[in-house]
Amino acid sequence: MGLGSIFDNMRRKPIRAAKSGTAVDLGASATTLEGGQAGEVSAGLRFYFLYLRKDRAALVGVAMITVFLGWALIEGILQQVTALTGNKFYELMLVPANPNTLDFNHVLVAPTLNNFPAYLFGTNYLGQSILARMMYAAPHDALASLVVVGSAILIGMLLGTTAGYFGGWLDEGLMRLTDAFLSIPGIVLAIAIATLVGGGFTSLLYALMVVWWPTYARFFRGQALSLRDKAYVEASKLSGAGSGRILLKHIFPNSIDPIVAYATLDLGTVILTYSVLAFLGIGLTIGYPEWGAEASVGLSYFPYQWWPTIIPGVIIAAVVVAFTLVGDRLQDLIVGRLTY
Amino acid sequence: MVSNIGFFLARRAINAVITILFLVLIIFILVHIILPSPIALARLYANNPHATPEYIQQVINRYGLAAPIWTQFYNYVVQLLHGNLGTDTITGNPVSTVLINYLPVTLELVIIGQVAGVLVGLYTGGIAASNRNRAPDYGVKAIYLSTWGAPPFLVAVIFQLIFAYWLNLLPSSLVVDPTLPIPAFVTGAPIIDGLIAGNWAYMYSSIQHILLPAATIGIVGFGLVTRLTRASMIDALDKDYVKLAFMKGLSKRKVVWGTAFRNALIPIITLIALIFAFSVGGAVVIEDVFDYHGMGWFTVQAIYNLDYPAIVAFTILVGLSVIAANLAADLLYAAADPRVRLT
Repeated sequence: MGLGSIFDNMRRKPIRAAKSGTAVDLGASATTLEGGQAGEVSAGLRFYFLYLRKDRAALVGVAMITVFLGWALIEGILQQVTALTGNKFYELMLVPANPNTLDFNHVLVAPTLNNFPAYLFGTNYLGQSILARMMYAAPHDALASLVVVGSAILIGMLLGTTAGYFGGWLDEGLMRLTDAFLSIPGIVLAIAIATLVGGGFTSLLYALMVVWWPTYARFFRGQALSLRDKAYVEASKLSGAGSGRILLKHIFPNSIDPIVAYATLDLGTVILTYSVLAFLGIGLTIGYPEWGAEASVGLSYFPYQWWPTIIPGVIIAAVVVAFTLVGDRLQDLIVGRLTY
Repeated sequence: MVSNIGFFLARRAINAVITILFLVLIIFILVHIILPSPIALARLYANNPHATPEYIQQVINRYGLAAPIWTQFYNYVVQLLHGNLGTDTITGNPVSTVLINYLPVTLELVIIGQVAGVLVGLYTGGIAASNRNRAPDYGVKAIYLSTWGAPPFLVAVIFQLIFAYWLNLLPSSLVVDPTLPIPAFVTGAPIIDGLIAGNWAYMYSSIQHILLPAATIGIVGFGLVTRLTRASMIDALDKDYVKLAFMKGLSKRKVVWGTAFRNALIPIITLIALIFAFSVGGAVVIEDVFDYHGMGWFTVQAIYNLDYPAIVAFTILVGLSVIAANLAADLLYAAADPRVRLT
């Protein structure tokens, strides 16, 4: 035994670049895809979909992400409508109960099917429905993950590509700066910044944005280093294109592709970090529930009333795992396609 | 070879110093962007929302907050080089003495937890790779995915629930049983201090108390290690020398753990330094949940009290320990792989 499983599988799993980009260059590890997919080199959503369809775990992940992002979008829009019109009806339209109503007759109700669906996840120490609070808080988590990863890609692309493409002292300086940021765990620096800025969701977003880009800068630098010697870049140079044009037309578009998988994984990591910060009481807005903060408050009633702590934690874990499942699979796919 | 390592160390040390200066500069500039006026800064230092203007002026004079930012930065760095990280605004003690008491506790916790997490992760990663696409692989994958996605406080709380409340095996909070006499302060790490003083009850109690938080910290890093080990082992198992080893008739166990594992280990060493950073970050929450009085716990208190010098000092200290861990990883890397030259 053993021999077959080792030799028959020639498709190798790529080594994932770990949280800071110091580990392995994604494009460098040569991989080949299993037979049938080799022809599908053309990019596009169809290709991704065909590939993802083969993996049930990834499909489950896609479904969960769709539900999460879809709900967050709907509820987020409704909350904006409420903010504009001042009518609370809109934001509470689809939520099973008002997340902020105090109900001291139903404090710490265990998860039950009574009064479905409001008590499905039980109530917290103020008698508020945990399900309603989770659902109401979803837009913040979705927004945080998208904004932070999006800004990290933009900043990282700008700094990393510049450093890699131009090289020299610019490269040295920018990379030392990146190293300085990388030398502190993101969560610790985010704590410092968010505490200094003081309170609120926006300040927490700024803190996470300041912290999140270095990994991407490292990554894009590596991409630029390998791309700038490619023949088409040479050709572009020979035909008289300036640096700006080369960066825009060749380097950026070609380096963005491999980051998709890592960014998908990272969306989950942002949610995780965000919930940990909320757990510590950072970046909370009065009257707006947060997943992490919910767990933190429930801790006072632990272990006899376990649901206020465990249920928010499990929901966070489920969302993060969904992003990981999809990101994992995309990584296989993209690395395979790149070298084919 | 010796001079080679000396040269390498000197180079890395210079790099580390530059990185630390950058780090302090970043934090400094951020503070000044957020709070541009000396009065706002003084409010932060005063840690009193109702401070009178006279008191604010006093604070500005005491900390030299009215000086230009470059002077302030220079002063801060000079103070830092003297080991002075500022004054804790709550107790009035120097932050460095406060942190010196808490740092060893956290380091002990993180190192024990991380070593356990890495060892288990290496083993499970190897198992998954050598049984690729079969039951053990899927099992390991399910475990590492769920621990990867779980927020550290969830893992901590589940451990408390199972081991402290249901099974009643281990204590759920604190560093050591507070009724026991405290041994003399030598290193500050409770287990080692208990050992040095020969205070077995104290040592036993601190080991009991460290198990759950350390396991939680281990789980935080475990997912990363397993994942990378699996990927790296699969790469190694494809190599010709592994095929040769199989053809020689060696048993699967010998090939996997003897031949392939050693070569797969190399890229993982870099990761260990990363996980260290990851664990120190995770320790903040984990110490809070377990009421484990280390540096992370102290930081959470500082967050609640808006104790700004303590938070900045903690950030810089963590940065320092991560840089040290990176340096150690580079040295280990060179020791494990003779092809790597130290330059």
